[in-house]
Amino acid sequence: MSDNAFLVDTTKCQGCRACQVACKQWNGLPGEKTEFFAGPEFTNPAELSAITWNHVKFFPVDRSDAERPIWTIMHKKCYHCKEANCVAVCPEKAISKVDGWTIIDQSKCIGCGACVNACVYKVPQVSDIEHINDVGQRIVTKDKSHKCNACTLNAREIPACVTTCPSEALTFGNRAVLIQEAKSRLEKYRKTFPKASIYGLDEFGGLRVITILRDSPDKYGLPTGKDAEPMDHAKAEAIKDTYALLSMFTFGIPAFKRTAYKIARSLGTKDA
Amino acid sequence: MTNHWIDIKNADVILIMGSNAAENHPISFKWVEKSREKGGKLVVVDPRFTRSASMADLYASIRPGSDLAFMGGLINYALQNDRIQKEYVVEYTNASYLISPDYSFNDGIFSGYDRATRKYDKKSWAYQNDDKGIPKRDKTLQNPRCVYQLMKKHYSRYTPEMVEKVTGCSKESFLKVADLFTSTHKPDRVATILYAMGTTQHTVGTQNVRAYAVIQLLLGNIGLAGGGINALRGESNVQGSTDHALLWHIIPGYNPCPQAKLHPNFQEYVKAVVPKTNDPMSMNWWSNRPKYVVSMLKAWYGDAATRENDFCFDWLPKAAKATPHIVLFEDMYKGMIKGGFFWGTNPVVGGPNSNKEAKALERLDWLVASDLWETDSSVFWKRKGVDPRNIKTEVFLLPASSSVEKEGSVSNSGRWVQWRYKAQNAPGQAIADLDMVDMIYQELKALYIKEGGKFPDPIVKANWNYKHSPNAHECDPHLVAKEINGYEWKTKKQVLNFTKLADDGSTACGNWVYGGCYTEAGNMMARRGLKDAANKLGMYPEWTWSWPVNRRIAYNRAAVDRKGNPWDPGRWVLKWTGSKWVGDIVDGGPTAGPEAKNPFIMNAEGVGKLFSNGVVDGPLTEHFEPRESPVKNIVNSQAFNPATMVLDTVAGEFGDSAQYPYVASSYRVTEHWQAGAMTRNLPWLTELVPDMFCEISPSLAGKKGIKNGDMVRIFNKRGSIQARALVTDRVQPWKIQGKEVEMVGMVWHFGHGCAASGDSCNNLTPHIGDANTMIPEFKAFLVNIEKA
Repeated sequence: MSDNAFLVDTTKCQGCRACQVACKQWNGLPGEKTEFFAGPEFTNPAELSAITWNHVKFFPVDRSDAERPIWTIMHKKCYHCKEANCVAVCPEKAISKVDGWTIIDQSKCIGCGACVNACVYKVPQVSDIEHINDVGQRIVTKDKSHKCNACTLNAREIPACVTTCPSEALTFGNRAVLIQEAKSRLEKYRKTFPKASIYGLDEFGGLRVITILRDSPDKYGLPTGKDAEPMDHAKAEAIKDTYALLSMFTFGIPAFKRTAYKIARSLGTKDA
Repeated sequence: MTNHWIDIKNADVILIMGSNAAENHPISFKWVEKSREKGGKLVVVDPRFTRSASMADLYASIRPGSDLAFMGGLINYALQNDRIQKEYVVEYTNASYLISPDYSFNDGIFSGYDRATRKYDKKSWAYQNDDKGIPKRDKTLQNPRCVYQLMKKHYSRYTPEMVEKVTGCSKESFLKVADLFTSTHKPDRVATILYAMGTTQHTVGTQNVRAYAVIQLLLGNIGLAGGGINALRGESNVQGSTDHALLWHIIPGYNPCPQAKLHPNFQEYVKAVVPKTNDPMSMNWWSNRPKYVVSMLKAWYGDAATRENDFCFDWLPKAAKATPHIVLFEDMYKGMIKGGFFWGTNPVVGGPNSNKEAKALERLDWLVASDLWETDSSVFWKRKGVDPRNIKTEVFLLPASSSVEKEGSVSNSGRWVQWRYKAQNAPGQAIADLDMVDMIYQELKALYIKEGGKFPDPIVKANWNYKHSPNAHECDPHLVAKEINGYEWKTKKQVLNFTKLADDGSTACGNWVYGGCYTEAGNMMARRGLKDAANKLGMYPEWTWSWPVNRRIAYNRAAVDRKGNPWDPGRWVLKWTGSKWVGDIVDGGPTAGPEAKNPFIMNAEGVGKLFSNGVVDGPLTEHFEPRESPVKNIVNSQAFNPATMVLDTVAGEFGDSAQYPYVASSYRVTEHWQAGAMTRNLPWLTELVPDMFCEISPSLAGKKGIKNGDMVRIFNKRGSIQARALVTDRVQPWKIQGKEVEMVGMVWHFGHGCAASGDSCNNLTPHIGDANTMIPEFKAFLVNIEKA
């Protein structure tokens, strides 16, 4: 079992977005059709999608210190939670931890959208399109959920995003070692940014993406404490049961299932 | 660059000014980060809070076009607080040199100015010489006519208060930057300056760069590891293009382009361009110029070039007048140019005053565009509002190989000339530029032979051999590279380096600066040795080859004192062992010991020029406003650079702040490349930045009722464009002379010839530029803005 993780050091990120492009290039994913910027600043697209498995979030600039305005730019993708909500709610057991990474098995996914609703980070998304990449691989399948697979699908030793990062804002390696490294950097950073923090140590049982931040996680919209606890087991089972029932009422007919799940998904997102 | 990319990691202080390195040279930030890991500090000075600024330890905001006020302030701060590397300044600069009593300065004008022609006679910008013809000096720096004292007086006006009044940067911020930056005056502390177009693309661009040279000389930072002044070049091989004389004013190796009026023959040329000195301490390297020019002529004209005919100097085309880009396009607009070859260039998007430049293309009889695919310029007749039936230009589009589809060298900003291999074949009929030029040459030669003509010899008798046999399918870049290196004419053996070149026709050399890149030992540019030098500074002398002669840090002779001991032993570039030099390749050659020669060998004086007669607009830097400015010049009563050329034909093309109150600047984003032809067809990049946008402050947005994402119209005397407005706190107004000066920043990557399209910012930029080079003033001009 791999003990690897990603370390995202936002103090080293210059926002070049090579990571966002590298993932697209390595997997042969299509570009998004965007207009202007989703924002804040240059952020595009607004959120992850079935065809955008990592993106760079630009935060608004904090100019309270004239000589040292702060502009945090943060690489975001699936956090590969140890106790992932998406794994817990999937009625088909299509999502599982493979070698520590949270992986969607496309052959089992029914596109119900339970994972989409359950993920507090809004990571997995169901695709509206089909895409065959330039090496003939069906990299995106219609009506199935997709997200970062830590470069285990189109396998490589070091994930593409990490390899391409010019400023070593992204590094990859043994989780425990990276956490040690993060803690020692934190000591240094706190001299300039007293509220600097490390995110990912305990959330959802521990994330495989550790992020170093200049301020506390809530400043970046990252859930902590109660909001980052794995979904209650009973609740997860209830969700699974709901989707199972849906499956029954649609007589297992794929077309009916898909419509029902689409409705359930949109109802779910309305509530959320 | 005087230094190189990796060397940035050796700096204690990194100043990024006139550059947005994190944005446009993202890989370079690896080295910036390595410096910071060791305690190095990053200072960013920029009108906007950019992606580079987001990484800075200290940020200062200045109004576009006010760099010289800020730099003047830094220079004044160093002089007033005695933050200079005293021994370095006395020994290695002209600080102690006495200046002619005829030199004077008053109210922004130096002695020798002719207001009618806007030109300076530089006669008075001279030294007082002794009876041996060597400049008189006062090493105590007390004599009121010594450069040091003249500078103290000149820069005394650039107080922190003045800096704030002109630039809008608070006195406090300025002083923090000044304190940190000038702390590197100590011999064992070093700062580097990284700059790019934000520095050069002004009517005072050259003086902006000079100001960096001046402060770095005062601080003793030139020639040292982690020091220098470092231009971050743009296009991948622009350094190579510059070295091989893409620009009108030079021939390969930075020798002046012969001009018809000034250089009627070779003797007059040599007299005019070979500097002289009587100072035995000065190597005056350009005294070797005749060897380089003759060797180049021998390479080009071969057997036809003999001593009797001055090596065919008369066959070289001579410039009728200065023809930088703006002048060229003004002439084209007047219908004076018949045809054009556009090699990978897209002026309809990238040129200043691009509406006018596009119209200029319409006046050509023919245009040959060599490019990877259609660009806005190659389909200029398809522009909005233009009827192709009214355009008589015959346009050819030649599909070109990209840099990975051919073999050859790419010279980076650090002068490293890395050889690259062909990764794959070009698609369809695309071929390398080299082969296109060769085909054109062969056809021209055949036509001249068949039909005769006005002057066939320079074509018909040219020494042109870039194929292994006449019927070979393509040219061999190795043959070009070998000619560039130089060889003995009789034996055809490659020369070791430019010290082997002669002025008697016995050697041929395409570009003396590259002497040593491809010797008898082989292609030095293709080396990939990973062993660092003994001084462990990241020089990697066995990785590729750098010019000149594989030197990694230019002016390194200034890195040691007169005894040959490094100023900074912890980061020693060179050491004199008592009998030889170790470390980097020593400037000026190994035979001269430390006390024998002065380090700035490319100057006739041999020392760094704090006071310089080498530029046309003044021996000391002085602040002037951009041609279009929202405020008056309060440093002196001249408006813009008195020595900048103002063409008659652009007279009506400028506006004032009454109609166009906002200062505009044009710049780039990481996600797009220059005029956008390379990137606006790529979905992964257009996902990130899909359309044309401008950046304005929340206060300007509020005043104009503009919300983030609104379509706006930006306009001035030269054009009107539409763009999306990105309302951001990264742009803030400045308080200047009681006014609140707002900025409209724009990217200039967009045009209408590619998949992702938008209006071109360059419709708004002016046809005026730097006094020395005429690089256009893309970085500071006036516009108005309103919701569309």
